[in-house]
Amino acid sequence: MNLWHNFHYAVAMVLFCIGLYTVIMRRNIIKKIIGLNVMETSVFLFLVSIGYRKGGIAPIHGPGADPSRMVNPLPQALILTGIVVAVSVTALALSLVILLYRQFGTLDVSRLFREEEEEAG
Amino acid sequence: MSGAFKHLPIMMITLPMLGAALMPFVSYLRREAVPWVSALFLVVSGVLGLLLAGRIPPDGCVGYRLGGWEPPFGIELKVDFAGYFLMMVVCGISLLALLYSRLYIIREVEGGKITAYYVLFLLLSASMMGFVVTGDIFNLFVFMEILAISSYALVAVTGNRNAVRAAFKYLLMGAPSSIMVLLGIGLLYSATGTLNMADLAARVGETGYREVLIASFAVLVLAFMVKAAIFPLHLWLPDAHSIAPSPMSAMLSGLVVAVSAFAIARIAFSVFTVHSWGVVGTTLDALAAAGAAAVLFGGIMAIYQRDFKMMIAYSTISHMGYIVLGFTALNPEGLTGAVYHVLDHGIAKACLFLCAGNFIYRKGYRRIDQLKGAWREMPWTCFAFALAAWSVIGLPPSAGFISKWYLVYGNVKADRVPYAVVLLIGAILAAVYCFRIIYYMFFQPGEEGAWRDQVMDAPAGMLAPTWALSLATLFFGVFSYLFLDSLLKAAASLLA
Amino acid sequence: MKRLVSLLFIGALALLLLYVVSRMPPMGEPDNPTATRVVPRYLEKAEDETHTPNVVTGIILNYRGFDTMGEVTVIYCALAAVLAVLGRERRGRIRDYVELSGLPSSVIVRTMVALVVPFILLFSLYTIFHGETSPGGGFQGGAVIGASMIIFTTIYGLHLSSVKVPQRFRSPLEGSAVITFFLVGVLGFFGGGNFLTYAWPRVSEGLHPALVTWLTVLVEVGIGLGGAMVLISILFAMVREEGADEPLA
Repeated sequence: MNLWHNFHYAVAMVLFCIGLYTVIMRRNIIKKIIGLNVMETSVFLFLVSIGYRKGGIAPIHGPGADPSRMVNPLPQALILTGIVVAVSVTALALSLVILLYRQFGTLDVSRLFREEEEEAG
Repeated sequence: MSGAFKHLPIMMITLPMLGAALMPFVSYLRREAVPWVSALFLVVSGVLGLLLAGRIPPDGCVGYRLGGWEPPFGIELKVDFAGYFLMMVVCGISLLALLYSRLYIIREVEGGKITAYYVLFLLLSASMMGFVVTGDIFNLFVFMEILAISSYALVAVTGNRNAVRAAFKYLLMGAPSSIMVLLGIGLLYSATGTLNMADLAARVGETGYREVLIASFAVLVLAFMVKAAIFPLHLWLPDAHSIAPSPMSAMLSGLVVAVSAFAIARIAFSVFTVHSWGVVGTTLDALAAAGAAAVLFGGIMAIYQRDFKMMIAYSTISHMGYIVLGFTALNPEGLTGAVYHVLDHGIAKACLFLCAGNFIYRKGYRRIDQLKGAWREMPWTCFAFALAAWSVIGLPPSAGFISKWYLVYGNVKADRVPYAVVLLIGAILAAVYCFRIIYYMFFQPGEEGAWRDQVMDAPAGMLAPTWALSLATLFFGVFSYLFLDSLLKAAASLLA
Repeated sequence: MKRLVSLLFIGALALLLLYVVSRMPPMGEPDNPTATRVVPRYLEKAEDETHTPNVVTGIILNYRGFDTMGEVTVIYCALAAVLAVLGRERRGRIRDYVELSGLPSSVIVRTMVALVVPFILLFSLYTIFHGETSPGGGFQGGAVIGASMIIFTTIYGLHLSSVKVPQRFRSPLEGSAVITFFLVGVLGFFGGGNFLTYAWPRVSEGLHPALVTWLTVLVEVGIGLGGAMVLISILFAMVREEGADEPLA
C-alpha cells in the first residue's frame, strides 16, 4: 500500500488542501497570507521528501561519506530557490496589506469588497 | 550558429536584469536619466535580437548550455523560431510602453517610486523573454515568479485604494497558482527524475507512473489557466488590467497573459509530447471548451462595459480564448495562428491601452460615453485607436486578419467547425464593441464643453509610441508573408 | 452554503491528490526515477567538477547557476515591489511603530541585543564563507544578517538602525547579487566558455580548482551582501510609520 508508505507525500497534500481552504474561506487577509505560506511549505515538504533516501546521509563529500548513500541534493537546491520566492511573495503581500489597512481601516475581506460594490453602484 | 552569436539570446535576457540592478545608481546620479537608461537597455537587447535574425533555423532550435553543462545536468535555453519571435515581440512592445511611461507615469506615481517602477518594468520584460525560450521547467517557474511579482506590484504602483485592492485580488489568485505550478513540477520530477524539457519529453513516454503524469499535467494547465485568465479563472483580470497605469495595462494585457497562455502550449508540446496524446488530449479538449466559453463571455461582457479600460480588459479575456483555441487544434496552422495572435493581440491591445492612457492623461475621462466627439480635440489618438480596433476585430489588411485566418483554418482542418464558428462570432462581438467606440468618437456630437474645437492632442512623446504600435498592426498584416513560412515550419517541428 | 461548497471542492481535491500519492513511486527506494536519473552524476562527480564538497552548493551555484541568478533577481524584484507599494524611507529622522509604542524596552533586553548582534553577524560571515564545504551559503548568511537587523530594529527603533546601515550605503549594494552574477557570467565568455561557466577552457588545468573556488566564493559573497541589504531595506520600508517622515520637533 503505497499511500501508507508515502505518508510524507500524503501529509504534504493534506497540508496543501488546508492551506487552500484557508486562502479561500478565511475573511481576514493576514490569515489568507498565512494560508498561502502553509501551501508553499507543503509543496516544499513534498519536494524535499521526494529527495529522501532510506538510510541516507547529507550530500556533502568528506571522509566517510559514500556518494551512493547520499540523499538527492537536487530537490534541496530547488527548495532553496522556492523559499526565496515564497519570502518575496509574502513580503509583497504584507506590504499590500499594510497599504490596504491604512486606506480602509479593516482587514476583513468581506468589508473590503462590500465597499467596492458601494462605490460602483 | 557559432562564435559570439550563440551568446546573444542569454545577453538579451540578462541585460535588462543588469539594467534593473544598476537603476538605483542611475537614480542616485541623475534621476531624470532613469527612463532613458532603462530604454537604452531594452534597445541594446532588441538590437542583439535583430542580429540573431536569420540565424535561427525555422525547423529546429538552437540550444545554449548555461555554465557549459550538457542538458539534463545543467540549464539549457532552447531558442526555436517561435520562441525567438515572441522574444522580439516582448522586447519591441516593452520598449514602446517604456518610452510612453516617461511622460505618463509622473502624473500617476509619486516621485520616490519612479525608480522602482522602471526597475520592475525592466525585470518584467527580462522575465518574459526568459520565460518563452527557457528549456528547463524549473527555470520556467523562476521566470514566472519574477513576472508575477513585478506584475502584482505594478498594478498597485499608483497607491490608489482601488489599485491596491485589485493588486491584492490578483495576488490572491496568482500566488496559489504559482504554488500549483511548483506542485506540478514536483509531481513531474518524482515520476521522471529530470527537469530538462527535452529529457522530460523522452522520459514521459517510457515511465510507468501514468496517474502521476496526468495529475501533473492537469495541475500545470490549471495553474497556467489562472495566470492566463482563461474563462472560469479570469476573475482577477478586469480589475487589475483596468486600474493599472495605462502603459502597465498595455504590458499586462498585451504580453503577460498571452505569454502565460503560450506556456500552456509549451508544456503540452515540449514536455508531454506525442507519446501521451491520450493523457494530454482530454485535458486539452477541456481547455478548448474553456477557451470557446472565454471568447463568447469576454466579448459579451465587453459590450456591456461603461469604462473603456474595462472594455479593453474584457476584450483581452476573449482574445485569450482565441489563443487557446488556436493551439488546442493540434496542427501547425492553429499553432501558427496562436503565435501570430500573441503578436497582433499584443500590439493592438497595447495600442488601445495607450490610446486610453492619452484620453486619461489629457482629459481624465474613463467612461465610454465621454468619448463622444473626441476626434475634434484629439484626432491623432482617435485614428490610432481606430487602426488598432481594426486589428482587434480582425479585418484585412491588419495583422489581426492574418492570425484569425490561421486560427479559423486550423480549427476547420482539425474538424472542429463549432469552434471555428465561435471564433467568427467572437469577431462579430469585437466588431460590436469596437465600432461603438469608433462611432462615438467620430460621428457623435460631444456633450457641451466636453471637448474643445481646436486640436490639443497628447504630447509627441506619448503619441509616437501609440502611432508606432498602430502602424505596426498594418505592417505585420501586409508583410506577414515574411514570418509565416518560418512560423509554420517552427510550429510543425514543435508538434512533431 | 459557500462554506459547504468549498469544503466539498477541497475534500474532492484532497481525495484526488491522495489517490495520486498512492500511485507515486515509493518514497526513499534506491531505484526510483529520481534516484537513478541525473542525480548519480551530481553525487559522484560534483566534487571534481565544481570543486565544492557540498553538492547542494555545487548544484545551486554551478550546475543550476542560472536558477540562482533568477532567484536573486526574484528577491531584488521583491524589494522593488515593496518600494513601489510603500515607498522608500526618506533620509534623516524617521519614526516607526517601535518608537511610537510607548512601551520602553528594558535595560536587560537592550544590553543583551547589543551583545548578541556582533556574534550573529560573525555567524553569518561563517555561513557565507563556508557555504561550499558545509551546510549554508550566500543567501542563508544574508538572511541571518537581515534577522540580526530585525532584532536590533525591534529593540532600538528604526532611527538608530538606519544610522547604523544608512541608505547611501544600502541602496547601491542592493543589486550587488544580480550584478555579481552578471559579471561572473560574462567572464565565462572571455574565458572561452558559456554564460556562467566557471571552469574557463582557456585556463590551464592546474589553475581550474582555484579559479572555480574563488569564483564560487565571489558569487556567494555577492548573494550574501545583496540578500542582506534587500532584506534590511524591505524591513525598513515596512516598519516605517506613515506620515512620520518629518523631523521631530
